[in-house]
Amino acid sequence: MSRNPAPAMTTANPALQDVLQDAPAAPPRKPMSLQLKAGLAITGAIILLGLLAPWIAPHPWDTISMRTRFLPPNATYWLGTDEYGRDVLSRLLMGTRLSLAMGVSATVVSLAIGVPMGLAAGYFRGWIDEALMRGADVLMAVPPIMLGLLVLAVTPPALWKTALAVGFVYIPPIARLARSVTLSLANEEFIQAARARAESTSYILFREILPNAWPPLIVEASLRVTYAILLGSALSFLGLGAQPPSSDWGLMISEARSFLDRAPWIALAPGFAMCLLVIGINLLGDGARERLDPRLKARLGKA
Amino acid sequence: MLAIDDLTVRYRTAAGEIEALSSVSLTVAKGSTLALVGESGSGKSTVALAAMGLLPPEARLPAGRILFDGQDILTMNAEERRRLRGSRIGLVFQDPFSVLNPSLRIGDQVGEGLIHHRGFTQERAFARAIELLDEVGIINPEAVAKAYPHELSGGMRQRALIAGALASEPELLILDEPTTALDVTIEAQILDLLESLRVRRGLTMLFISHNLGVVRRIADEVAVLYAGQIVEQGATEDVLQRPVHPYAKGLLAAIPRLGQKKGRLASIPGRLPDLRNPPTGCRFARRCPFATPDSEAPQVLRDIGARKVRCTQAEALRDIAWPVLGEDAPSSPVVRAADAAPAVTEPVVAVEGLTKRFVLSNGPLRFEGWRPMRTPVIISPVDDISLEVAAGEVLGLVGESGSGKTTLGRTILRLTEANSGTIRIAGETVSDKPQRALESMRRTAQIVFQNPDSSLNPRKTIRELLGRPIQRFGLAAPGDIPARVNALLDLVRLPAHYADRYAHQMSGGEKQRVGIARALATEPRFIVCDEPVSALDVSVQAAIVNLLADLRDRLGVAYLFISHDISIVAHLADRIAVMHRGKMVEIGSAEEVMRAPRHPYTIKLLSAVPRVDGPIHGRGPTAVSSEILSA
Repeated sequence: MSRNPAPAMTTANPALQDVLQDAPAAPPRKPMSLQLKAGLAITGAIILLGLLAPWIAPHPWDTISMRTRFLPPNATYWLGTDEYGRDVLSRLLMGTRLSLAMGVSATVVSLAIGVPMGLAAGYFRGWIDEALMRGADVLMAVPPIMLGLLVLAVTPPALWKTALAVGFVYIPPIARLARSVTLSLANEEFIQAARARAESTSYILFREILPNAWPPLIVEASLRVTYAILLGSALSFLGLGAQPPSSDWGLMISEARSFLDRAPWIALAPGFAMCLLVIGINLLGDGARERLDPRLKARLGKA
Repeated sequence: MLAIDDLTVRYRTAAGEIEALSSVSLTVAKGSTLALVGESGSGKSTVALAAMGLLPPEARLPAGRILFDGQDILTMNAEERRRLRGSRIGLVFQDPFSVLNPSLRIGDQVGEGLIHHRGFTQERAFARAIELLDEVGIINPEAVAKAYPHELSGGMRQRALIAGALASEPELLILDEPTTALDVTIEAQILDLLESLRVRRGLTMLFISHNLGVVRRIADEVAVLYAGQIVEQGATEDVLQRPVHPYAKGLLAAIPRLGQKKGRLASIPGRLPDLRNPPTGCRFARRCPFATPDSEAPQVLRDIGARKVRCTQAEALRDIAWPVLGEDAPSSPVVRAADAAPAVTEPVVAVEGLTKRFVLSNGPLRFEGWRPMRTPVIISPVDDISLEVAAGEVLGLVGESGSGKTTLGRTILRLTEANSGTIRIAGETVSDKPQRALESMRRTAQIVFQNPDSSLNPRKTIRELLGRPIQRFGLAAPGDIPARVNALLDLVRLPAHYADRYAHQMSGGEKQRVGIARALATEPRFIVCDEPVSALDVSVQAAIVNLLADLRDRLGVAYLFISHDISIVAHLADRIAVMHRGKMVEIGSAEEVMRAPRHPYTIKLLSAVPRVDGPIHGRGPTAVSSEILSA
């Protein structure tokens, strides 16, 4: 018998004309949670480093120098050097751009296709819903890495294709989320009100429903970025994404594999970097979820 | 039996600590019924939860005692409290639709407590559950005990919940809005049932409700709560007929009376004080027309004759009525379109033979010879309805839940497609046109919704919400839209600075005003008002009803006013239509229907309405109680 007594005391009561001036103002902004702060700090730092990489990298990232092969971390080469004597730190910084670009562009692809799909499925229902969602189910049934392999194995590998393939793989979860949010919003009376003034379907979908569907979608998308980075790296590791001498993190680990016993730092550095980035984005996503959750907002707004 | 002594409850919330109850003291004598009455935010549910020891963890109790038969519930440990709940106190919640577990049989849920608290075996508990279901007036209790909650109607579920609360043979029954989710006829049956149980079992009841008419039928004594304080307490008839505290006066004046058609309803201006920091003086002072400088001083609950009142001026106010404030009196000359243009004979809306069917399921597959057959299960929420609404007229549409009133309203506006029938709006036949050819009809006919929380897009400011229809229909040059928005806000009596607000920054009544303004933005001639006041508190409801009446007078719009509350409909409507299971059973002028209803269903509906005036028939069988077994 769970029953929330909160409405009894928080629901804003009667309002009439003469005391309107002391109607509640906007609710005070909630302070940021620690989670969100940490996520912002980590992700922000990594993005900044990636953007500034060409200027802050201590050494050229692609110059081969046989005299400095397999140097362990030291004062000159902070993270050591690889089999061709290239500075691991510099390669790592340059690789940041590739990984981020990979994750973000793949997510943009899945949002661009998945969100309209989900909106249409949830709003029109019926056979459109069935067709779109069964299509998504089929896509979901294919293991992500297989789909990536399929696209990349038949054409010459390139980073943009990897991004496209990974983005494609992550359409179903985005479409499903967009659909479920749309389903509940479509029953709201403000949608009926829009229909009652003969608004076009595209206006209802993109101007009435989408703004309300954004918060959960943004959170989901931020988490998808991390999956995309990992999958992109995995494909690069398999030789189907970025190509040498590019410094993609997955590729770096792949190349360092043979020297794990002699020079573990070459593989560890990109591994840790990936780990940190994924944690940062996940913290950011979870923090944003708490903050953007409209139900939470409504509760705050009424208190 | 139950004595609450100086109870204060505070809730910790994100926005600060809220004082939900301030020094509430009350006693319920053995065998009597005390009703707690108040609007939302008054703290009435908090009292119930506190008395059961079920307050949520955010609650803090800086002061007070709750004595049940001499024992303090607040100092008990969780186990003792659980034992008390399982044996001597029963609780019935508001919403019979969500309290029952959908995957357990009714009989198991009713008998559950007996297994835990009394050590009954499963079989004995089930057998006892059947007896209890029989006692609460359920016919064929064996079958019902084996049913699952979704197979039962709302009234049956509420009976089952009462049976469950009675299982442990409690001495005290706490009922938190037990009839609010039910239709009036069912409500009347439940109230009769409670009364007969009280007499038969000698129960003590603490009855919590926002509905004064319901309270009058059941309670010996009533305590009116406002902003966490009891403002008036006394014998029910006494308080309801001769309220002393200004808030009680206002609350009672705001209720439309059946058969008494006044021009305007009284309403209470303003809103609850901020409970994070309640005023030290009278908490009602800012909304009180009788407030004096004395009101700033702390008020105490004083004995005035046989009752208690929290007001320093109680004696002086005894015989003064609540004034009908002129706050929302029309500011422009009254022009009733119907009077101004009597030559217009064409009704704004004319509906003929309108039918809407829903296919509930395709029915089971069976074979007729070798051919597979299905007989679909079809319901008709709108079944061959014909009606007309004249210009500037208010047609009230009354019916219980599921009678098809909302579907009818939406079908007329083509928001739901009809299966057959013709609809003419402003002389134009709209029932055979495709959706995209409805432009002019969409401008002429608008809708106001029930739920103010869901009818405004939470991501848009009021300016955007009101500006869009104007822009959509090109009713003003883009530069003039802000001025039009301000004019609309003024029309519904909201200050212009509200244009920058979002929906969640307003109260329910304010949101409903915006909903009305949005419907008016297209300058319609006809508005479907779909339960526009059902989600609002009594005092706000009155103000919205007054506003709708004024707008009708000023702008000459016609309404189809849909409501389950026949007293509001009777107050506002020129004519009344009664719907029952998709059919229109009666239609006629408001006076006629109220004075001499013809159809048996209308008679039943009218007699079931809980009233705050007129003869008391509460403590005896009503016209509907004879049908108690047909629920």
